[in-house]
Amino acid sequence: MSKATADNKAEAMEADEHEIPGRALGLSIMCAMIVFVAFWMSLQSGQTYLTVNTTSTFDADATAGFLADSWYLPDDELLGFVLIPTGSFLMGSNPALDRLAYENERWSSSRRQGTVDLPEYYIGKFEVTVAQFSAFIEDSPDQANSVFSSAVANIPITNITWPEALAYARWLEQQMKASANTPEDLKSFLESGGRIILPSEAEWEKAARGTDGRVFPWGNETRSDLANYGSTAVLPVGSKPCTECAHGLADMSGNVWEITRSPMQAYPYDSEDDAENLSDDALWVMRGGSYSDTVGNVRAAVRGAVDPGVRNGSIGFRLVISKL
Amino acid sequence: MAVSANSKKSSRSKNRKPADNQIVSEVAAKISTAAFRVPFALAIALALMSLAPRVQSSAALVWSFSGAAASLLIWLAYLLFNSRSSKQERVFSVLLRPQHYIQATVQLAVYAYWGYYWRPVYDHAWLILAQLLFAYAFDMLLAWSRRREYSLGFGPFPIILSINLFLWFRDDWFYMQFLMIAVGFMGKEYVRWQRDGRSSHIFNPSAFALGLFSVVLIATNTSSLTWGQEIASTLTLAPNVYSFLFLIGLIVMYFFSITLVAGMAAITLFGFSALYSASTGTPYFLDSEIPAAVFLGLHLLITDPSTSPRTPLGKTLFGVFYGLGVFGLYSLLGALGAPTFYDKLLCVPLLNLSVIAIDRAVRSIRSESVLNVWRLDWFGGRANLAHMSIWIAFFASMSLLGKTDSKHQGDSLPFWQQACISGLPNACDRLLQLEATYCGDNAAWACNELGVHYREGKVTEVNAELSLGYFSRGCELKFRAACLNLLDTNLVARDVPHELDLRLLLREGGQNLMTQSVEELYDRACIHEWKFACESNGTPL
Repeated sequence: MSKATADNKAEAMEADEHEIPGRALGLSIMCAMIVFVAFWMSLQSGQTYLTVNTTSTFDADATAGFLADSWYLPDDELLGFVLIPTGSFLMGSNPALDRLAYENERWSSSRRQGTVDLPEYYIGKFEVTVAQFSAFIEDSPDQANSVFSSAVANIPITNITWPEALAYARWLEQQMKASANTPEDLKSFLESGGRIILPSEAEWEKAARGTDGRVFPWGNETRSDLANYGSTAVLPVGSKPCTECAHGLADMSGNVWEITRSPMQAYPYDSEDDAENLSDDALWVMRGGSYSDTVGNVRAAVRGAVDPGVRNGSIGFRLVISKL
Repeated sequence: MAVSANSKKSSRSKNRKPADNQIVSEVAAKISTAAFRVPFALAIALALMSLAPRVQSSAALVWSFSGAAASLLIWLAYLLFNSRSSKQERVFSVLLRPQHYIQATVQLAVYAYWGYYWRPVYDHAWLILAQLLFAYAFDMLLAWSRRREYSLGFGPFPIILSINLFLWFRDDWFYMQFLMIAVGFMGKEYVRWQRDGRSSHIFNPSAFALGLFSVVLIATNTSSLTWGQEIASTLTLAPNVYSFLFLIGLIVMYFFSITLVAGMAAITLFGFSALYSASTGTPYFLDSEIPAAVFLGLHLLITDPSTSPRTPLGKTLFGVFYGLGVFGLYSLLGALGAPTFYDKLLCVPLLNLSVIAIDRAVRSIRSESVLNVWRLDWFGGRANLAHMSIWIAFFASMSLLGKTDSKHQGDSLPFWQQACISGLPNACDRLLQLEATYCGDNAAWACNELGVHYREGKVTEVNAELSLGYFSRGCELKFRAACLNLLDTNLVARDVPHELDLRLLLREGGQNLMTQSVEELYDRACIHEWKFACESNGTPL
């Protein structure tokens, strides 16, 4: 075929192509689709897989008693932290006193309980709440993947994994170190090496039962008026105030299980061996029982355990400020 | 002969002549609105498919199916109205082209074999069927919108099957899959040029859609919305997948004379990979001399005769350029921190754009001997058989040298750890890349190692945030050392891989190790240079 003929044919085809309607429109639609996809994808890239209420949506009544400008921590002198003084306490269970004690609460084959000495530390009076955790998520949305939908600001945060609880603790420590709203006592404690973190199980137990070896935070008798257990729902933190409890802490028995920073290991307790047995699967101690547990599981010495990746509606946490 | 559909056909369809190897049915649609029943049925079938349990498992899938079906029905209604008011009929004819149904058969064979060893492929079958329904209806409506006769055949099959061999969107974003198909067909319809005196589409439709969406996914860092990484890494779960792809590739090569393209691409990649390995002491690709997904791509993605050069030397150059493109993109994407599985997709549209230039350059060569270098009078003038013989001999040699289905050095993490310590080029980057892949596969040990690297700063720069992220992931997967590293930001706790880690870390070569006994697993780990496994004498430490 000569070049001229080929060119003529090409021109004819092109002309034919122009007779067919909609090419410009079709190209425009296609380009619009591509732009839409790019725009939509860029929106997706910023999306977290988190369903969380923003703090602004919380009911004012539910945040009463908490400070919105201080990360929704409790409105008291130490932002809800309580000092636990230096000293020793009796850890583990004495079956003679506590008939409900489990075998894993026994100190050793020859001893029922052991004495543990702890330096002073602060512990939260309440479990960490939905509002407090939401403030963290709002500030750093990529730090947690928790899925929770409660609109109630003052119930304990649940359905969070162990690493997410630690991430919250790290964030709060940074905030409190940098903020002018942090009470002086706490600030100086933090500046002298204190860290905001999950409690060890020894710290938790000492705070819960004090130094007199009581079975429950309030004493040795069961008291359903002082703790949320054997019920059907989580309650807002502090719903059952307990002035009789050691250090006046709320919900150390029941409401939600509280995860700790201690790996599940047989007693006798020694924080020095926490870094041993690395080949074992990680399993972390949780304390205090939950709203759905019976009285046997809300004793101060009871030891539960949970995988670090588990989310559960009856597992939450509280924080300590401790010099590790 | 061409189908005579009705008297009001465009002059274009009247003049069209079928190719020699086309089977053209005499069954034409002598219809006015009757033809509309076909896309209507397809759209309804798509809507009904949303009732299938697989689709009902996700609300997003149900909405995607319903939305796609609704869009088709609205478009159909518009065309029907338009057809009646303008008194122009819409028609189709049946046209079965071997390049469509043979290609589709080969692709289905890949799905069947791959899916046998990686079940998500079979689970995806419903979604592929839905895409086919959508593609047929969309393509038909698109042709009619252009007042063109529609050729009903197997055309959409290779496009859909090809797209799904490389990229699927996850259920929550499946509407993007329909959009990707739509873009592919629109690209075929609207992005055209004059080639050898005929109007033809520039881009391979599936490669066009895959390339465009790949760019968007990379730019928006949203690759996790797709199964792209899993697709690229699970092909090797099927044992001897290279031999399998090679054998079915021969079918395509025999029928469509694409040996020069696929063969030269493979030879280029093998060659450059070997050169790199010889000069640096480390493999170029992590999992093989040529990643299995690339090997699949060079058989099925760049061999569309309509969008590749026509001259033998042009085809040779086209294959070489694809090999070079994949080779270069692999490093480029890695350097940009983007997933490397896009390497095989991104260069195809660019190559499609260059075919006229390649053919023109080749035709400008005034030496007959150079021009006909691949048209030697071998096999009685049947050059393709000669090319295939060379390709078979080459692949057999590579297989004998252990460069295809055998164990690949790049799969061994201890090798990369040692190479990184020894300071071999790119070894530390590859180590990080490999560990990131395994961490993504839920190997807790790999997550902890990554966390350690970003905390220590020996292998890469210190990044506290990344380090905590990897420790968190490792901890949630119950790796105790990772949890301890989270608790104390000054600590560097490490441990050897646990049993489940080994089942993930050692799966190269296509074996499913989930059911392997612990003793066999540790023996395998020892063979792969994990010293702790050798010391354990086949039992966990």
